[in-house]
Parts: sequence; structure tokens; C-alpha cells
Amino acid sequence: MSRRFVRKGDIVRVTLSEPERDLLRGLPDQLRSLYSSDDPDDAVTTRLFPRAYLDPTEDAAEREWEALVRPEILREKLEALELVVKALDAAVPGRRGRLLADLSEDDVAAFLGVLNDARLALGTTIGVTDDLDLSVLDPSDPESAAYAAYGWLTYLQGELIETLLGTMPG
Amino acid sequence: MTSAPVEAPVEAPPELPLEEGEPDVGLSHVTDRPWIVIVWNDPVNLMSYVVFVLQKLFGYSREKATRLMLQVHREGKAAVSEGTREKAEGDVARLHGYGLWATLEHPA
Repeated sequence: MSRRFVRKGDIVRVTLSEPERDLLRGLPDQLRSLYSSDDPDDAVTTRLFPRAYLDPTEDAAEREWEALVRPEILREKLEALELVVKALDAAVPGRRGRLLADLSEDDVAAFLGVLNDARLALGTTIGVTDDLDLSVLDPSDPESAAYAAYGWLTYLQGELIETLLGTMPG
Repeated sequence: MTSAPVEAPVEAPPELPLEEGEPDVGLSHVTDRPWIVIVWNDPVNLMSYVVFVLQKLFGYSREKATRLMLQVHREGKAAVSEGTREKAEGDVARLHGYGLWATLEHPA
């Protein structure tokens, strides 16, 4: 059972420290700027908005598909950013200086999406590999802060998924 | 995919009933070869997240979603659904909405 995210009826309550809340609160602006990138060859853009067809002979179908679904995917992502901002700004003080934010079902989905996109973007930027070992961070590495943030976001997303899987049918 | 900090229920029973596990495959009246939707391995998405998304989007059981996730993890990819081109395109869009790396193809 996750202590970060506790289900209370229809809502999920998340407990954060102030620095943690601030880190999360900065994600929507960063993601919004990534979503609006107009460089189709950028690695992060490609990862957040991948092709549907690998086969280059399906380029016409790819373009048609992109024109059809991309605006909708983008609209949902931008809505998620707004929900996360609202939920974090509505956090109330809890015990020992912690902040408590109550997440509706839509907020939870938005959090999950924002955490995942932030990890996809950060992971792509720092070149995360399958055998990444976050326990051996070298503070003098110029990427160490990014690795630390990535590690914390990974932890937080893992806790949220554990909570969600716990109430999902087997 | 990354495994930390995940506990995937890998000890699935050896024999899995297929009843509710296969609701998303094929349409009996479609005689053409189906398009298939592939999910590819990537080093960022959590194993538990992939299971969650497959259950949520396709209504798969925990066992089936876990089996597909492990196939992605070990073999680099897995076919997660199939159907007409339109259905496969829709499934890919929904998977992309969740940040999974998915494509559709029409096997020869």
C-alpha cells in the first residue's frame, strides 16, 4: 500500500513536501512548451508523438492519421496540464509541513499522464537505458540533477500505479 | 521498460483461461487479414504502467496484460490487439495518448 497516494472513496489523496510540490508544479509549463515544439525531428517530440506507421510506403496514411488524431491527443494532454495545476494549487497544509492534494478520477488520470510525459521527455533527453542504475549517481555529473529528478518522478509514478492497480479488477 | 520500483505479478498460473482475455481480437465477419497493433519496448515506461494501460484500454485481465507486458520487455515488442485498419489506428492513437510506443502493421 502506497503512503503517497491513499484512496478515500472516489478521490485519491497525495501527500507531498513543499519542494516536491514545487517540482511537480513546474512540469506543466515545461511540458506545454515541449508540446508546442514545431521541430518534427526533435527526439523528445518524436517520443511524445510517435508515428503510427513504421512502413514508409504508408506515409499518406500516416499523414492522414496524424491530421485526424494529433489535435485530439494534444488537446487531452493540455487539459491534463490544467487539471494538475489546479489540483496542486488547491493543496492544503497537512501534518509536519506536508501538503495534501485531493485528486478526482480525472485528476488522477491527468497526474499519471503528466508524470509519464515528464519522464518520457526527461528520459529521452538524458538518454535513459534499460540498465539505468539510479543508486550510483555522481553529483559532479552535469546530468545528475536530471537523473535525480527522473528517479523521483519514477518513484512517484510507481506509487500512483500501485494504488490504481490495487483497485482494478485482477 | 524499467522495472523499478515495480512488483509485476509474474507468477501467473500455468494455464490461463482465454474467455475474457481475448475480447479485443478480430471480428468474425472480417475475412481480410487483420492489421495488428504492436507495442515496442522502451527504457522509460514502467512495467506496472504498461500493465495498467493494457488493462484500462483493452479490458484485459491482469494475467493477460502482464503476459503481454513481459513479452514486450523480453522480446522487444508484442502484438496487443488486431482488427480493421481503422480499429488498429484508433488503438494506436489511444496507446500514444498514454505515452506507449505503438505502431500498426499489416503482416504479409
